[in-house]
Amino acid sequence: MKWSRIKTVAIKEVLEIWRDKLYLSMAFLIPVLMMIVLGFGMSMDVEKIPFVAVDYDNSEQSRDYLHRYIDSRYFDYKGMKAHESQAEPLMIQNKIRFILVIPPGFQEKLLAGKRVQVQPVIDGLFTYQSKVVRGYVSSINADFNQQLMRQWLKKKRGMNDNDIEALLAPVTLETRYLFNEKLSSLWSTGSGMIMLVMLMAPAVLTALGVVREKESGSIFNIYASTVSRSEFIIGKILPYVVISFVNLLVLSWMALVMFGVPFKGDPVLYLVASLLYVACSTGIGMLVSILVKTQAAAALITMLGTMIPGMMMSGLMIPVNSMEAGAKMEAHLLPAMYQLNIVWGSFLKGQGWPELGTNVLILALHACVLWGISIWRFRKRVKA
Amino acid sequence: MSPVIEVKQLSKCYKKQPAVKSIDLTVKSGEIYGLIGPDGAGKSSVMQILAGVLSYESGEVKVFDHILDSEMSAEAVKSRIGFMPQGLGLNLYPELSIEENINFFADLRDVPVAEREARKLQLMDMTQLTAFRDRPMKNLSGGMKQKLGLVCTLIHKPELVILDEPTTGVDPVSRRDFWEILSYLVRHEHMTALVSTSYMDEAERFQNLSFFYEGSVLAQGEPDSILDSVEGWVAECDCEEGLNIIGELQSKFSQAELIGKTMRIVAYDVTQEWFEGELLGLLQQHGVSKTVEIRPIELEDAFIGMLHRWEKQKAGDGEFDFGQQDNAVNHFDESPEFDRNAVMIEANELSRHFGDFVAVDEVSFNVRAGEVFGLLGANGAGKSTAIKMLTGLLKPTHGFGQISQSSLERSGREIKQKIGYMSQSFSLYEDLTVHENLKLYGQIYGVPKSRLKQRIHWALQMGSLQDEIDTLAGSLPMGLRQRLALGCALLHEPKVLFLDEPTSGVDPLGRLQFWEILVALAKLKGVAILITTHYMSEAEHCDQLALMQAGKVVANGSPISLREHIADELGMVLSIKVDYPYQALDVLRKNGFEQVSLFGRRIHLFSLVPDRILNQIKKVLSSHEIEIHDTRKMLPSLEDVFIHFIETHAEELPDASPSRVAS
Repeated sequence: MKWSRIKTVAIKEVLEIWRDKLYLSMAFLIPVLMMIVLGFGMSMDVEKIPFVAVDYDNSEQSRDYLHRYIDSRYFDYKGMKAHESQAEPLMIQNKIRFILVIPPGFQEKLLAGKRVQVQPVIDGLFTYQSKVVRGYVSSINADFNQQLMRQWLKKKRGMNDNDIEALLAPVTLETRYLFNEKLSSLWSTGSGMIMLVMLMAPAVLTALGVVREKESGSIFNIYASTVSRSEFIIGKILPYVVISFVNLLVLSWMALVMFGVPFKGDPVLYLVASLLYVACSTGIGMLVSILVKTQAAAALITMLGTMIPGMMMSGLMIPVNSMEAGAKMEAHLLPAMYQLNIVWGSFLKGQGWPELGTNVLILALHACVLWGISIWRFRKRVKA
Repeated sequence: MSPVIEVKQLSKCYKKQPAVKSIDLTVKSGEIYGLIGPDGAGKSSVMQILAGVLSYESGEVKVFDHILDSEMSAEAVKSRIGFMPQGLGLNLYPELSIEENINFFADLRDVPVAEREARKLQLMDMTQLTAFRDRPMKNLSGGMKQKLGLVCTLIHKPELVILDEPTTGVDPVSRRDFWEILSYLVRHEHMTALVSTSYMDEAERFQNLSFFYEGSVLAQGEPDSILDSVEGWVAECDCEEGLNIIGELQSKFSQAELIGKTMRIVAYDVTQEWFEGELLGLLQQHGVSKTVEIRPIELEDAFIGMLHRWEKQKAGDGEFDFGQQDNAVNHFDESPEFDRNAVMIEANELSRHFGDFVAVDEVSFNVRAGEVFGLLGANGAGKSTAIKMLTGLLKPTHGFGQISQSSLERSGREIKQKIGYMSQSFSLYEDLTVHENLKLYGQIYGVPKSRLKQRIHWALQMGSLQDEIDTLAGSLPMGLRQRLALGCALLHEPKVLFLDEPTSGVDPLGRLQFWEILVALAKLKGVAILITTHYMSEAEHCDQLALMQAGKVVANGSPISLREHIADELGMVLSIKVDYPYQALDVLRKNGFEQVSLFGRRIHLFSLVPDRILNQIKKVLSSHEIEIHDTRKMLPSLEDVFIHFIETHAEELPDASPSRVAS
């Protein structure tokens, strides 16, 4: 292996990228755009759920009950309908996600000390959201029940507030969230996006870089010359590693400033791991580009091949521990999970070498394997 | 000395589709060896195998006495080979400047910096690229791209260069320069060159050649011996009644075509006496008593003759006869009267600018009913832009055009009904069958239902596509695909037909058949045809020609008048076959014959007084003990014509340097 020839290939690549302004701006803009769109867009917080109410009772009590929903920041009140049949079409048109039906005789029964049934109708298509909505409804409902109780105890028994609380809720919860104190999904998904975006963007960029040469025919210069396979692959991949590393730093800065994520860990570890991680993702792109012939195929395969495992099998959406055995194994085979451990560990958990060292090592191993397979599979004398 | 390349029984398949069928090839040191044949004949596969970048199934391939049978063994010879793949400048890096491109190729091959600089200067000087060394490759003209490609391939002083179609789509001047440079380097650096081309008229440039067709080699050897191996005769005759008898001639002889008022008849594998007797007899029957000039065929016709033989063998026991099997003229029974003086296409100082770049610069010409008008030029000369303006697809910046008296500016829709257009890519729907394609195009052009059935039947007949009605267009061979596309463009019976490089990628026999149809269309139905091509040999079929260079028309006229004009101005072409062509060339240049150029083993030069010059040359050569084998006098070719016009035109321009982006 000769450094001068690696340098020749790398410099040519840099010049080409630098002069092709469209490609250049894509290389730097796309990761930033992806970070903004996915960081804000993939937020798991469920708020402002549009709903309508059907109040058959229209009494003081029913209005009081309804107002608890209207005033909540989790719900967005879209008005009153006279009948359920008028509300359901709105649900079908996706304009609302939830209908609150208050039966006739709501106040009458309550005052008579009887049970009343209120019917929340929830759009069940988005299972996760639906469950969250049900949770909100239950707690608003429970709160209303407690208030009724409080009023009754005060009026009938003349108890003071403290005694009433001790009677009604003898055990209270004082929850504290670790690592993400405000339970802001921006903190976790926002920083997690560094892992996802830096898996996808470098892979696609690298894959296009090589396949472009195959499509134009300039790859023949490499085939026909005396440059060795490893010299070509390394020279070709290095510029993309550098570009991607710069991008990763920009994204990290965005996480700190735009999403307000704190950084509590070891910066040196984070930088070393990040460099290894972009070596992995560019390696994935290189490997794909060696196997396919057209830019369209290269873009599609790397896009899907990195996005789905990057989202589903990295622990970003579902913790790796609670995955099925198959998915769990895949997660361990891909670099995404290790990088997510490092990102969250460094930003949110304040971990350093003792906790994350193994992850860094595994990333290094991944990079070596990916580059190695690329060099091994690259052919200078092709079949077709 | 053992040969540089030695190939035995080489075969190559792509997914079970054979591309090269058991060929043999031997290339000796120091020669320019040609692989000639149409697209898809297997030339590129052979070249890639020899450059060590493509694997093969069976056979033995030796380059510099190394057997190339694995990636490892191929690596061993790569330092001694320069390979330029197909596609003009496609292997270069568009964003890099000329110099950066050259440096990349040199550094990739470990050329020491001092040596690199010296070699670079020498090669840039020779190719006249020095002045443009900082210009990005994407802004070079086709000819300059080709030269840069050559420089990059030669920068490490290879002993063997493999050049895949280096002259395709390049203007005639650049082509000539290319051959000059190559033959200079082969002479002075003891290089061996393997060059492929799909232009049959370049065959004379090679010392030895192999003629490829459908993966097989049909002929091998020196151009002259190939010519000798095919017996055939050409007759030419001017006559007004050509149209009435051409059909009969076509069924009797291998080839018969009408070029303007001249009939050209070719017969293969017959004696001269038989040919002369039969032809004159037939002409007399029709009361034609014109003088007929009969001469032996030239190399291009010899190739076609070989293809005839090959097809005959494939078809079986001599049943196949090209002329009889397909007779385009017979499908044009209805011959409406038309006014031969009606101007159907008029271009009046048409110009088109793209920003600062002038793609078409004040181009004017007329095409009359029944005329075939050829627009010639290299890639990027402005041909397609001109056609786009005349078909109403692009607005001219200045000037105006008319299609059969309707102005392009005012009557867009009306014009679209009058014209047929066939593009380079044929624009067929590959997943539809032949019949479905025709039906779809008929409906797009608004042919009435009652008429469509009849028109489709006509188109199938015309293109001899009757047996392929239910074949997918994508699986047709190129020749048939081309005729299907033509049929689609003619369904609505347009009076004006535009053809944009319709023959690219089609084999010579298919091209010939296509031209027969075009000529019949023009002469019998009065269709005005505007066709663009970069095959000079095709230009001979046109009634009128215009050559475009850098957006301007630099010459126009009929093919024969252009050639005679040059003959008057520069003289005839003297072609001399000698023992030692390289030596002879140097000797002649030293003795004041500076305009000599090398064509294989022959030396060409222009002369107004050929006999006197020939005597002088004989004297000079015999004093150096170089023997002359034979001499010929020829009318200048169209290629010569265009080189002359481009050069005289370039002198008039203040800045002759092309600084342009291909449109």
